[in-house]
Amino acid sequence: MVTPPTPKDQFSGIWVVVERTQTGTLAEATFEALTAARQLAAEQGNTPITAVLLLGDGDTPDPYQADLAAHGATAVLALTSANLATYSGQGYTQALTQAIAAKKPALILAGATSTSKDYAPRLALAAPLALMPDATQLTMGSSGQVEVTRPVYAENMLTIVTAPDVRPQMVTLRAKAFRKGEAPAAGASVTTETMAVDVAAPTLQLVGISASEAASSGKSLADAEIVVAGGRGVKGPENFPLVEALAQSLGAAVGASRAVVDAGWRPHSEQVGQTGKTVSPNLYIALGIHGAIQHQVGMTSSRHIVAVNTNPDAPIFEIADFGIVGDLFEIAPLLTKTIKDKNLTPA
Amino acid sequence: MNIVVCIKTVPDTAQLRFDSNNQLMHDNLEWVMNPFCEYALETAVRLKEAIGESATVTVLTVGDARSKDALKKALAVGCDQAYLINDDRFNGGDTVTLCHILNAAIAKYVPDAKLVLFGQYSSDQMSGNVGPGVGQLMEIPSLTFCKEVTLSGEQATLKRETEKGIETYTMTLPGVVCMMKCDYELRMPAIKGVMKANRTEIPEVKLDDLGLSADQVGAGGAFVTSMSFTRKPQKTGGQKIDGSDPQAAVNQLIDYLHQQQIV
Repeated sequence: MVTPPTPKDQFSGIWVVVERTQTGTLAEATFEALTAARQLAAEQGNTPITAVLLLGDGDTPDPYQADLAAHGATAVLALTSANLATYSGQGYTQALTQAIAAKKPALILAGATSTSKDYAPRLALAAPLALMPDATQLTMGSSGQVEVTRPVYAENMLTIVTAPDVRPQMVTLRAKAFRKGEAPAAGASVTTETMAVDVAAPTLQLVGISASEAASSGKSLADAEIVVAGGRGVKGPENFPLVEALAQSLGAAVGASRAVVDAGWRPHSEQVGQTGKTVSPNLYIALGIHGAIQHQVGMTSSRHIVAVNTNPDAPIFEIADFGIVGDLFEIAPLLTKTIKDKNLTPA
Repeated sequence: MNIVVCIKTVPDTAQLRFDSNNQLMHDNLEWVMNPFCEYALETAVRLKEAIGESATVTVLTVGDARSKDALKKALAVGCDQAYLINDDRFNGGDTVTLCHILNAAIAKYVPDAKLVLFGQYSSDQMSGNVGPGVGQLMEIPSLTFCKEVTLSGEQATLKRETEKGIETYTMTLPGVVCMMKCDYELRMPAIKGVMKANRTEIPEVKLDDLGLSADQVGAGGAFVTSMSFTRKPQKTGGQKIDGSDPQAAVNQLIDYLHQQQIV
């Protein structure tokens, strides 16, 4: 077996790597990770939870401390370097490797975002640590070893993985698998430690970002509580306003099947399913979506599924909690109108 | 400009079958190239076409004899060289051991690789760990979730799709890029390509060729172990109503949304 550089029992505590949105607020993924950390910490007898911020020059932990403390962080560790002002996988890896060597956390949690999925695999080899991505469930064993449930085989299967001999363990958490809890400790305070880290100038530079419509309205598919998705039954890009209107009436994000993305009706950023996104909203409304297995794997963990399809034998009905065998061109506008007339809003 | 593409052969996840204990039935699996690897391969071939004769594309895979078809396909669509990295001593490994194997293979067979392409993740293990991990071992930058690569000398411009929108990055090469689904069509092998592929020898690489020790690969080098694999609990359908009277159907749906406290 691999001999860890430091004996396992010298690692302790839980870290949550903090992620921020473009507007500088704490990302939903960070609250979800804090909620998961709190549950694990309680099972272990109140293990300390350190929120770790990566900060460039002139950036400060001040705006975040109260919120992090309220959601369960017992300490804040701010890693600072001029070269952390912009993201690079190498930069984050260098910063976190130094912090891990100094502090020896037993478990590191982060939301499974496009950021953590970019740097964490590098960190796994640099720190080194045992990385278990995309957890949908976590349980803490008596020896401080987490058992991580994660989807495999295009979401058709689940595996439980552990890292018996390697510390730290790092787990990234699938969006919405761990729901943000209430702030249990509003008014709590934390001690903040700042640690200067050596980060080389990155050879990777973000030079531009064009926010997709979904991202700029704040309704990214992964975070949305309601998704309204259209398939081939929508019959053409010119009919998608029907889908968008229903989505808007519910404050929902718009999704699409692979068929309509491949046909160029909708952008790939809206594709749900294999080779697209996996979503687990509270409500998923499938309009004119046949529901091939490749689509189902991307949305089957939605809490409630509603399907409208003219074909009574469409496979989508096999997983829909509420199915309407009918014409979406009749149903969708009526549903939109009824929601507006009755002034219905998501609970 | 030497380009490397690392691909994986996976079971076709649309054809999985399970027994009554929700265990995967391993016989009769269909083996295919991982979908995102198809895009990495297409990207490599497009870049080679754009650069011309001075570009080479080498394709690597870690797998058993079942992985040979994907290598042949890669050669048929325009890759120059393919290696099947196959050794029983790799069994029981994880993504960390895979990173060591691929890093050693790239160092040996394409030491001057400028661009190393991966699919974002494999549809079977779904980790996305291997591409960036190889970047770490090679001590070069990496970027995930990319859907377009353009090259200009030693610099790559990368389009990346995230929850924040479409990001554009510049990367100083050499570097690792992990590809999502791209906006372009995948090419099919032409007869001429298939004939060329059939003439090209695909060397089989063993552990001893890579200068790694047996305890760096396989179960001995793995950090993570799997305790179980089971079918995900299946969702079953609920009520299905007739929508020929749209207003009645919509009213029933609204009732359902109320009952479930969704609205």
